[in-house]
Amino acid sequence: MAEENLLVILPYAVAFLIFTATLVSYRVLFGPTLADRAVALNTATTKAVVIIAMLALLYDAPYLLDISIVLLMVNAVGGLIIAKYMEVRS
Amino acid sequence: MIEALFLLFGLFIMFFGTLGLLRFPDVYTRLHATAKCDTGGAISILTALAIASDFPLVVKLKFFVIALTIAMINPMVSHAVARAAYKSGIKPKVAVDMYAWDNP
Repeated sequence: MAEENLLVILPYAVAFLIFTATLVSYRVLFGPTLADRAVALNTATTKAVVIIAMLALLYDAPYLLDISIVLLMVNAVGGLIIAKYMEVRS
Repeated sequence: MIEALFLLFGLFIMFFGTLGLLRFPDVYTRLHATAKCDTGGAISILTALAIASDFPLVVKLKFFVIALTIAMINPMVSHAVARAAYKSGIKPKVAVDMYAWDNP
């Protein structure tokens, strides 16, 4: 297991990041333009990557890191496709 | 001790980025808040996790792979979204629009 000092803090850190992702989802739902929603979705996905990396340390399961790498790549492709869609549609 | 410090620093940075995303008036200022804050906060938290974990060394390097990929991908997506937002006709709420001088 990891060091005891960090394992005490880590569940509260996961809860705090889920709270900030909930705050971000306001901008995803009620954003005025499509660009706002794209920015907020990118932010929420980055937070999800960090949350999954924390869970890999918390559950002592190293295979969760591969899941977070794949989610990061999907985030890149999705953001670029949304940006290209906004540029072509105008 | 140092890893808890890194973790708290990253959490505060990510919280301030979220606050900027909620409170700023414009797409471009929201990008300004979230792009830098999320990249820096995620790299700081992943450094803390890599220091604190006692996985084998190959697994420990994966944290730095994730940090490097975030540092490459997040500015790229932010740049693409800002460029597409300007070309689709969203004007920034500023006094002087210097990007319009070069691209009429």
